[in-house]
Amino acid sequence: MNNHENNDEELLRRFLNPERIERAPEGFTTKTLTRIRIETRPSTEHYGFLARNRVPLISAVITAGLIFAAILIPAGETGTIGSEVWKYFRDITFTLPGINLPKWASYTMIGIFVMGFLDRALSGIFHKGITSKP
Amino acid sequence: MRQISGMGPEDDKYYIGQVLKGSMNAFAYLVDKHKDKAFNLAFRICGNREEAEEIAQDAFLKAYKSLKDFKMKSSFATWLFRIVYNTSVSLVRTRKKKVLSVEEFPADAVDFLSMNVSDEEAADEYRNSLVNFALQKISEEERGLVTLYYYDELDTVEISGITGISRSNIKVRLFRARQKMAEIIRKAEMKNVLHHE
Repeated sequence: MNNHENNDEELLRRFLNPERIERAPEGFTTKTLTRIRIETRPSTEHYGFLARNRVPLISAVITAGLIFAAILIPAGETGTIGSEVWKYFRDITFTLPGINLPKWASYTMIGIFVMGFLDRALSGIFHKGITSKP
Repeated sequence: MRQISGMGPEDDKYYIGQVLKGSMNAFAYLVDKHKDKAFNLAFRICGNREEAEEIAQDAFLKAYKSLKDFKMKSSFATWLFRIVYNTSVSLVRTRKKKVLSVEEFPADAVDFLSMNVSDEEAADEYRNSLVNFALQKISEEERGLVTLYYYDELDTVEISGITGISRSNIKVRLFRARQKMAEIIRKAEMKNVLHHE
């Protein structure tokens, strides 16, 4: 280094004091860790299509299954568990004193009861699954 | 060579191991230990405290996310500084911040000559503001090199590891940066003296 360079070096050493660094603002560590926790939290976007849409998918499958079963239930045939169950429900009649309900009302009542039960069961299962995620 | 952050890298290795096992407290220790140096580097390059804080936070976030890929070939501090340096330089390049000319330096921003000479804190403040001003007159890469060389007291090998610039190139750039900064500081000091005459 020549004299001029030495002077420059000396001047900068005088001004750039290693002890005089700009310190991170108060609460920096806490803020950084909070940000890390938020930004590294697993989001639903990381799950596949099936996992993200499991509730409507399962509901749709069950509904389709019920409709399909209703169409395929044999009328008056015996020999299978399904047809026996069907026969049991078909033969149920609601009788109230002085009121004669039409036949379809019994099916409607059973349908409402089954769907209500299913809804409660699914709600319980999926709600528990969602809240237990980290 | 002075150790970055003044602590041994072995210390960091232990805490990195703990972080990889799932300890958030271990990472809190690493943040606390390196935050000032990381913030200082970002601040000296971008010249803005808010941006520097965001850059430093981003760097720690990136480090946390990629910690499992960290091979420990370099120290954690070198690796972290590399992230801070690259993020800061990229930000400044995209921002293309307007810089003041030498004549715009507010000579009376810190009234150096009229202050009590024994007031070392105020003198320190004046020097620091002048350094920040001079840093804004050199390129963003040079700001990083100057900070790592003068503030962190790293040698050219370590600086090369952080910046990816060859040792010979670092020497050339440091030489130019030193010249420019010294000239700016002298001019500003002269202006300050004339201002008080």
